[in-house]
Amino acid sequence: MAAEMPRLREGALDVAHFLADAPSAGDGAEVLFSGTVRNLHEGRAVTAIRYHAHAALAEQRLREIETEGAAKFNVTLRVAHAVGLLHVGDSSVVVLARSGHRGETFEAARWAIDTIKCAVPVWKEEHYADGSVVFQDGVPIETIA
Amino acid sequence: MQIYIEPYGPARHWLGQNSVTLSMGDGLCVADAARLLAERYPEFAEQAQRCAFALADGIVPASQNLHDGARLALIPPVSGG
Repeated sequence: MAAEMPRLREGALDVAHFLADAPSAGDGAEVLFSGTVRNLHEGRAVTAIRYHAHAALAEQRLREIETEGAAKFNVTLRVAHAVGLLHVGDSSVVVLARSGHRGETFEAARWAIDTIKCAVPVWKEEHYADGSVVFQDGVPIETIA
Repeated sequence: MQIYIEPYGPARHWLGQNSVTLSMGDGLCVADAARLLAERYPEFAEQAQRCAFALADGIVPASQNLHDGARLALIPPVSGG
């Protein structure tokens, strides 16, 4: 994944794209997490989700997560989040962590996705099978820590 | 002075529009803007304690002073991932 690519992208994410760049020679571990649109939320059938964002702030926060995560866990970290209309099975968020060993790589990936969910200004608007469209309730935005 | 509130995500439904103009006295801060907004929009009032505000440089504290023409993004609870 080229470093200059935007972290906030229109449409479903291409997971394979993130693995296109080969790991460095010192990388002994690689963890890729992809969050996908599922067909059920709290018992209701979901057909699609439209992701909304504060684009400038979301981009800034996603880049901060990469920088903070790299320093915190001594890993290489790449993250991206989708905006726009996604359907069931589409990838909405990707985290790719690489480092010398599995422990910190798993930890970094977990930290990154958990932080994305509470610190990046993105909102899910769910489309249900009955035709209704509802914003999912969220959590108050947090700082990156 | 005039402050422009730009709601995001579900906050657009709470305010019923993409931008709200608030007329405020000089020297007021983000908390004052939030209070005025809550007086006008009951749906926002219910969620106000769970919301944040941002200027161009990022999230700002409630004590942040505002200047005439400021564009204040209303950031409701987030639900990415």
